[in-house]
Amino acid sequence: MTPGILVVGEVQNGRLAPATLEALGVARAVAPSGDPIVGFVSGAAGKSAAADFARFGVGHVYCAEDPRLDAAPVGAIAHAVAAAAGAAGAALVLVGGTTFGRDLVGRLAIRWDASAATGVTELVRADGALRVRRSVFGGRAHETRRMEGPRCAVALRPHAFSVPAEAPMALTVESIATADLPSNLIAPRRVEVRAPDRGAGPSLSDAAIVVSGGRGLRGPEDFHLVDELAAALGAAVGASRAVTDAGWRPASFQVGQTGKAVSPQLYVAVGISGAIQHIVGMVSSRCIVAINSDASAPIFKVADYGIVGDLFEIVPALTAEVRRARAP
Amino acid sequence: MEIVVCVKPVPEAETRLRVAADARSFDAEGVKFVLAGYDESAVEQALLLKEATPGSHVHVVAAGPSPRTEEVLRASIALGCDAATFVEMPNAPAPDPIATARALAGAIRALPHDLVLCGKQAGDDEGGLVAAALGELLGLPDFGYVVDLRWDAAAARLRFQRSAEAGQELWESPLPCVVGLQQAWNDPRTAKLPAILKSRKAPIAKVAPPADATGHPTSHAEKFELPPPRMGAKLIEFKTPPEAAEKLVKLLREEAKVFP
Amino acid sequence: MPDFALTPEQESLRDMARKFARTEMAPHAAECDRTPRFPEEIYRKAFDLGLMNLNVPSELGGSGLTLFDQCLIVEELAYACGGMMTSIIANCLALEPILLGGTPEQQRRFLQPFCASYQLASFCLTEPRGGSDAGNPSTRARRDGDHYVLDGEKCFITNAPQASLYTVFATLDPSLRHKGISAFVVPRSTEGVVPGKEEEKMGHRASSTSSVRFDHARVSVEHRLGAEGEGFSIAMRTLDQTRTPIGALATGIAQAALDHAADYSLKRETFGKPISEHQAIQIKLANMAQAVHAARLLTWHAAWTIDRGQRGTLESSIAKCFASDAALHVADEAIQTFGGYGYMKEYPVEKLLRDAKLTQIYEGANEIQRTVIARELLREYA
Repeated sequence: MTPGILVVGEVQNGRLAPATLEALGVARAVAPSGDPIVGFVSGAAGKSAAADFARFGVGHVYCAEDPRLDAAPVGAIAHAVAAAAGAAGAALVLVGGTTFGRDLVGRLAIRWDASAATGVTELVRADGALRVRRSVFGGRAHETRRMEGPRCAVALRPHAFSVPAEAPMALTVESIATADLPSNLIAPRRVEVRAPDRGAGPSLSDAAIVVSGGRGLRGPEDFHLVDELAAALGAAVGASRAVTDAGWRPASFQVGQTGKAVSPQLYVAVGISGAIQHIVGMVSSRCIVAINSDASAPIFKVADYGIVGDLFEIVPALTAEVRRARAP
Repeated sequence: MEIVVCVKPVPEAETRLRVAADARSFDAEGVKFVLAGYDESAVEQALLLKEATPGSHVHVVAAGPSPRTEEVLRASIALGCDAATFVEMPNAPAPDPIATARALAGAIRALPHDLVLCGKQAGDDEGGLVAAALGELLGLPDFGYVVDLRWDAAAARLRFQRSAEAGQELWESPLPCVVGLQQAWNDPRTAKLPAILKSRKAPIAKVAPPADATGHPTSHAEKFELPPPRMGAKLIEFKTPPEAAEKLVKLLREEAKVFP
Repeated sequence: MPDFALTPEQESLRDMARKFARTEMAPHAAECDRTPRFPEEIYRKAFDLGLMNLNVPSELGGSGLTLFDQCLIVEELAYACGGMMTSIIANCLALEPILLGGTPEQQRRFLQPFCASYQLASFCLTEPRGGSDAGNPSTRARRDGDHYVLDGEKCFITNAPQASLYTVFATLDPSLRHKGISAFVVPRSTEGVVPGKEEEKMGHRASSTSSVRFDHARVSVEHRLGAEGEGFSIAMRTLDQTRTPIGALATGIAQAALDHAADYSLKRETFGKPISEHQAIQIKLANMAQAVHAARLLTWHAAWTIDRGQRGTLESSIAKCFASDAALHVADEAIQTFGGYGYMKEYPVEKLLRDAKLTQIYEGANEIQRTVIARELLREYA
């Protein structure tokens, strides 16, 4: 059997999670033609989502139906995944970059005796070797690793890939037995799941994303545009000194030389001109987006992406687009 | 309760990264290594559990090159860990985390361990793999992204929350198990000066990596790159605000890869 | 002094001090300077972590560090705030006379309880009519049976408003000039000890300073340190010990000023480029760096000399004098590097100049340091 790729499915609201679909897309891109791509699902929830694999062109799905796996620790699921990968003769197991996916890869590295990598942003097969690219040091650098050996387990970076086009085909489900699951791997119990609290945003100092507002927002009554964009991004809210001096927001919101220094993955500066006092507080952010009506504003010199336009139109449009893009 | 904490030396957060001469990893010359931030939380949690459960001990273990690895073990002892084991590994650039997990497991198997605590990921390679791999190596369940960890002695269950995409998951588990902790949700204590002085003389058991640490599929770092310096903003051309928004989100998602 | 490298132990100490300085002291430095505020909660934390009473041996409850290791810590803490460091180091200054002049029994009796909990102490030598001229105090001590009665006023005393213990230098007989001076340990609880109103200072505003009046304050003979008439010697030997850490304190301020200036010069642009690319700024930064490096090494050498058991008067005087002058100059140039922004209180550099200034005045004014250096130097040629 030609070694192929096993894509591990995660289920969200009865369907395959977007993270799994992204992994599917990557599998299709990296599989040499003719190599089979197969899917894996577990638990009762998994069984009902198996059909989604077929919708996206993966017709053979391994299913560990055991309902104990619906809320089991990842170690139990890894047992079944390894069995499926073995049955499929897979050379590569791909999973989305979720908390589950990263943990799964750690377990598979041992259980399935494979090389492993997480947070992968690029996956390339060349010169008979599989190479992955991933970000390190909080996004301040990237490394390329060569994955050795006949088996490799990879968790992707979340949202780094697009969902592929549908390619419906017929579905075959192959059962994976789980009778020999060690009891200590399924003894732990998930008691409850509480939906995430969307009310309070992350704190400014260690947020992964920050949206800051400046004097370009004419008054405190307009600052809600910043708040809404931040909420849509799951971001913390910051402000320039002009804003905090004017009392639109408390001093604790100030980003800058005499306020807080932040270095998030993404910094969105709304209506901020980019005076040095502000710049020094955010210039080490990984990616900076500036929205300002003045094309000569110094902020555009340090930003990676800029939109020169009327923030009162751009920001609501951006908030709407972010909500649309993040919807499950 | 016998608690084992796994720690790791990482470059301190303010390090200005430079590419090493062989371009495979970062240049460690002159870099200051410290206890990883996530590991500080793990050590703190271990000490809190020890203080809450009489008769408990905390044994800290680390695998890595000398001398930075012994230094973080001493830092952990200064915080209050009772004993330390050092698994010496060669100073390889960007080592494979699974190999590290195998080395740690070798040492942990020789110790009593009801609970194995790790920081969920380290600030350098951010693999987040070690806790899970340790679980598999030790034949134990593992849980990642844990906050709020408590031992319910009456029910003989560990109670904790996991931060997952679906929300906060509340779990209970018998011991033994492996837990990968989230960072800084507890308030790591600071070592006092007398404890720091005492830790310099504390004994550290040294063990070699187990024989089965080699001979498994692994990965090698081939290239280490820093992002190019900022050239000024790429201005997005648009006719309508929704078009600008759409183009920006696409760039953030696919080019910058920072979209949440 | 062949090996300039710090031992791993010294690195741990320095790292621990640095972490405390950056996370606990630095965030409050500007506010304590502005208000001004005496941040007792920070001093308590420093005590809890073992960062106070550094010169007291560990058997008596201190941290028992060498002078060199103390300097490592002092520089790190002063980097965050010179004022806070002054209040912390004032304990060392006040307790040193007990270590130098006290019997083992006195050391145990006074230092053990003092070091067991958070407390502050004050070294009381300076008077309104005698700072540098410390050999002719007006504060009198009169023997009365097995007590002494102290009368007089000391001024510019660090920690005086909060201290629970004062080390006081008073004369039993002015006609004997400096040979009439004795040293006394005076608990705050002694009747007749009256701290004055807190002074408003140019800098070191997180530290508190006031006069202390002694109004028929009675202490038992057991509170006298050393023999009658030995007080001046104890005071001078105390300053021999504390000069070097003041050099470290000044070095910390100077390093902070250099760091701010260098960092700013890379970000601020004028005439189309970062100011770090203008030669005028490069020359400034180079001079500042030379001064900071020299200050640190002079301090290290002085500490090493004294740790070896030598008196080290020449070395410590040079270190204190040079480092404090360097701190002033470097802070001044740091403000200049920031230009107009440096003059604004919103920016951190003007505080450094105000803090640096005191290091040239206290713990032996630099004019006196120079006479000491000259005296020590010329001795070698005589």
